[in-house]
Amino acid sequence: MFSLRHMPIFRFVLFVWALLFAMSSSAQSIPDDNTMAMIRANYLYQFASNSNWPSEWKKGTFNTAIVGNPEVFEIMVSKYAGKPIGSQALNVIGATEMAVTSQVHVLFIDRSKKAELANFVKEFKGKSTLIVTNWEGALAQGGHVNFLSIDGSIRFELNKTAMTEAVITPGIKILQWAIE
Amino acid sequence: MGNRINWQTYIGVVLLWFIQLGMAAQGMPLTNEAAKLCQQKSYAAALKKADEAIHSDAESRDAYTWYVHGFVHKEIYKEEELGNRQSTHRLQAEESLLHAMKADNAARHEEMIKLALKYLASTYYNDALQSSQVISGNDESVPRKLYADFERLMNVAVPGTDFLSYQKELEKSLGQHYFAMWQRDTEVAKWRELATKRYESIIAMDNTDSDAYYNLAVIDYNRAVFMYRKLGPDTDMFDAITLQEEASALIRTRALVNMEKAYALAPEKGEVVRGIMMMHRALDHEKDVAYFKAEIERLISEGKIKADQHK
Repeated sequence: MFSLRHMPIFRFVLFVWALLFAMSSSAQSIPDDNTMAMIRANYLYQFASNSNWPSEWKKGTFNTAIVGNPEVFEIMVSKYAGKPIGSQALNVIGATEMAVTSQVHVLFIDRSKKAELANFVKEFKGKSTLIVTNWEGALAQGGHVNFLSIDGSIRFELNKTAMTEAVITPGIKILQWAIE
Repeated sequence: MGNRINWQTYIGVVLLWFIQLGMAAQGMPLTNEAAKLCQQKSYAAALKKADEAIHSDAESRDAYTWYVHGFVHKEIYKEEELGNRQSTHRLQAEESLLHAMKADNAARHEEMIKLALKYLASTYYNDALQSSQVISGNDESVPRKLYADFERLMNVAVPGTDFLSYQKELEKSLGQHYFAMWQRDTEVAKWRELATKRYESIIAMDNTDSDAYYNLAVIDYNRAVFMYRKLGPDTDMFDAITLQEEASALIRTRALVNMEKAYALAPEKGEVVRGIMMMHRALDHEKDVAYFKAEIERLISEGKIKADQHK
């Protein structure tokens, strides 16, 4: 007598697929992009290209310094470095490079470094450096432009008096979109 | 997953079948020879004998003859055509096994016939899922047909099977296919919409499916990220603000809502916790980001998720 045997494999066919799907159950991945950094970097570029600096600041490179936010720094470098701001090329510098740079046109200080704002305000007093921040109350501490988060969107507020003192003239688009 | 038969039942069925076979095999020389040749893996010769058996007046009325005929075709399919969605041997195996089920003495061989049918059903299911990944355009007819074949055979092999998990897997597989198509060209909204529909259909079947909510959230989040990626030095300020508000609304009102549902259902699933953290980061929700970062650290320290995937 003989027998026809079902291979045990049949019992595992469904299981194998189940396993494969379990391994890739939510195969759709979430991109790592830091969207907040992307929008902040874009704003910094907009502030640079839509404001006016004194004529003596329109020579050499247009320096934008980023303090305390490596992701904004990286996006500025990859997307905006070298782009023209008037007749100047945008140069992105990190906090450690700032000491050797005589002119910083835009300085972004992230809230992770908010304790250092007072020092920066003191250091750049009398210069046409646009100080941009991203925490509540920063304008009262000497910032010129401050990012606000409204329902997950980033907008900004201005300290026009401080900007006037720094001899930086905000363009019409900046004024138009600033939160009063 | 699946309705599996345990080993004790399986061995019992095989033993019972041996006893039955002793009685059934008498007076069935063609069928017996076919089975013997099949066991020896001489499939061509086995098939020849099995074909003769089903055309023999003496043997063709017996369920066992049709079972052996179907079994031989099934073995040839496994050896030579596994994965071939148009396999004629699988079709022949199916026809013969279903024929065996209708024979007068089908009850004597029912368990083994059903096991063979269950195997064939599972191959249709596998083919349905595999074909769903390579469909042309949005023509789902091939995977849908294969899936229908799976259900049809399973209803014979395992009456009363609950198909919900299988249906969901097919929808998920189609959703993943459309998502992949969309990733190749994010400007084609059709793929994104088709993927969304597939995941929504899963939720319509089972509103506790965390993966479906997760995948819906990922679609909308990706959509928002693709919008943010368009920001650049040539973007006008008005356009940048408009784009940002549209993208953040998409995250706030759709992606985060679905990710929160996924999180409520699977609070310790690494990708979900990371997903909800990313969405809060995109909305500048500092406290929530800190909370979910801490959750990820906790889950890593408890060994519930792997560190390298969520750092």
